[in-house]
Amino acid sequence: MTETEGFVDQAMSGIAEPQPMYKALRESAPVFRSPQAIVLSRLADIEMALKRTDLFSSNMDAVDLGNLRPMIPLQIDPPDHAKYRRILDPLFTPREMAKREPWVAELVNEMIDGFADRGDCDFHEEFAVPLPCTVFLQLLGLPLEDLDKFLEWKDGVIRPQGADGYDGRHEASAPVAQQIYDYFERAIDDHIASPRDDVLSSMIAAQVEGKPLSREELLDICFLFLIAGLDTVTDSLDCFFVYLARHPDRRHQLVEQPDVLPHAIEELLRWETPVPGVARVAMQDVEVGGCPISKGERVSPLLGAANTDPAEFSDPDVVDFNRSPNRHRAFGGGPHRCLGSHLARMELRVALREFHRRIPDYEIKPGTQLVYTAALRSVETLPLVFPVAAR
Amino acid sequence: MTYVSVDADRCVGHGRCYTLAPDVFDADEVGHAILRVEDVSGELERHAVTGEQNCPEQAITLSP
Repeated sequence: MTETEGFVDQAMSGIAEPQPMYKALRESAPVFRSPQAIVLSRLADIEMALKRTDLFSSNMDAVDLGNLRPMIPLQIDPPDHAKYRRILDPLFTPREMAKREPWVAELVNEMIDGFADRGDCDFHEEFAVPLPCTVFLQLLGLPLEDLDKFLEWKDGVIRPQGADGYDGRHEASAPVAQQIYDYFERAIDDHIASPRDDVLSSMIAAQVEGKPLSREELLDICFLFLIAGLDTVTDSLDCFFVYLARHPDRRHQLVEQPDVLPHAIEELLRWETPVPGVARVAMQDVEVGGCPISKGERVSPLLGAANTDPAEFSDPDVVDFNRSPNRHRAFGGGPHRCLGSHLARMELRVALREFHRRIPDYEIKPGTQLVYTAALRSVETLPLVFPVAAR
Repeated sequence: MTYVSVDADRCVGHGRCYTLAPDVFDADEVGHAILRVEDVSGELERHAVTGEQNCPEQAITLSP
């Protein structure tokens, strides 16, 4: 096994510091045929693949989470894709997200109240997991007591038991997927009966080309929200807090210069790339970087590799909160650019601001071995210890 | 004077330009970039350059 293969093999089971793997791939095998997919690691190729949806589709063949129909809008390519984004994008603009910010700040503080006096916490379990999930429930107007059910479902489709790589995914996730459809069927009924000020009610009321969204379309959007909106922010929080726990100077910078926070978030998104790659499928025989790719083969543009490509970023291995310009692709690019990016940014901004205001100093509990999960970069547990503030 | 333009076909709503340079760029109702001013100089021109350099889709062009 070559070094690169070793790296990629490790990456499939989770990797703590993937940046050296990205570099090795870019330099030795920028179009790399792994057992699961053809991995693209040069920014120019990745950008092309993200934009050229006619060549590299994001359709149902790209990834299988047990869903019965394409998840909307991710698994619908242009031109049909645009009609859904026209309805959904307005619900997730920076301005819309800013309206939710005070409530998210309150929630974040309640979560911190749960452990601030204890001097330790499992950051993953007590903060990074419940925060985005609770925000999601509130945004969609679903009962907050459904939290545990949601967490179980999201893991059931994203990390199904008994599935290895792409094989057996459908069978492993399908029963959970059905529960998700059933839950949202009832939630949609409830919202039709009593509309309110939330994203689900807005989707039900929306018109596309003069018609409301069908029941199936609504379900397919909800399904995507569940898998796209929860884990990704958990991953980002885990990655960011591991980094900040290990780099006290950077953490102090956030405490001392609050204005740097939005830029720090962009730079941490670049460096950590919590969603390290996305999935596409070739729509025709095509050649990338001299490597033939056959119609139907899975292709994985490695966003983390794009984000550390020296062709775009000077000193890509230096984490600089004042980096400018910072044209990172942590949210992908092209038509399928992450719909929830501004929600994620708002959650991350509030979480980092409030956490560091309340708990400016912390470290990873000595002796901890961090275990990263596969594909999406969360850690299984993140024990933090910190001084308890005097009352 | 420098002339700023946004290619609506390329913009997909990353929102970096109007976040970093709100005096030059703004968001439309779907969060895509629109211009507040088209001709810029001095301080506004520096803001416009920041927006242009940070656009992941290279949808912003500055021309004399």
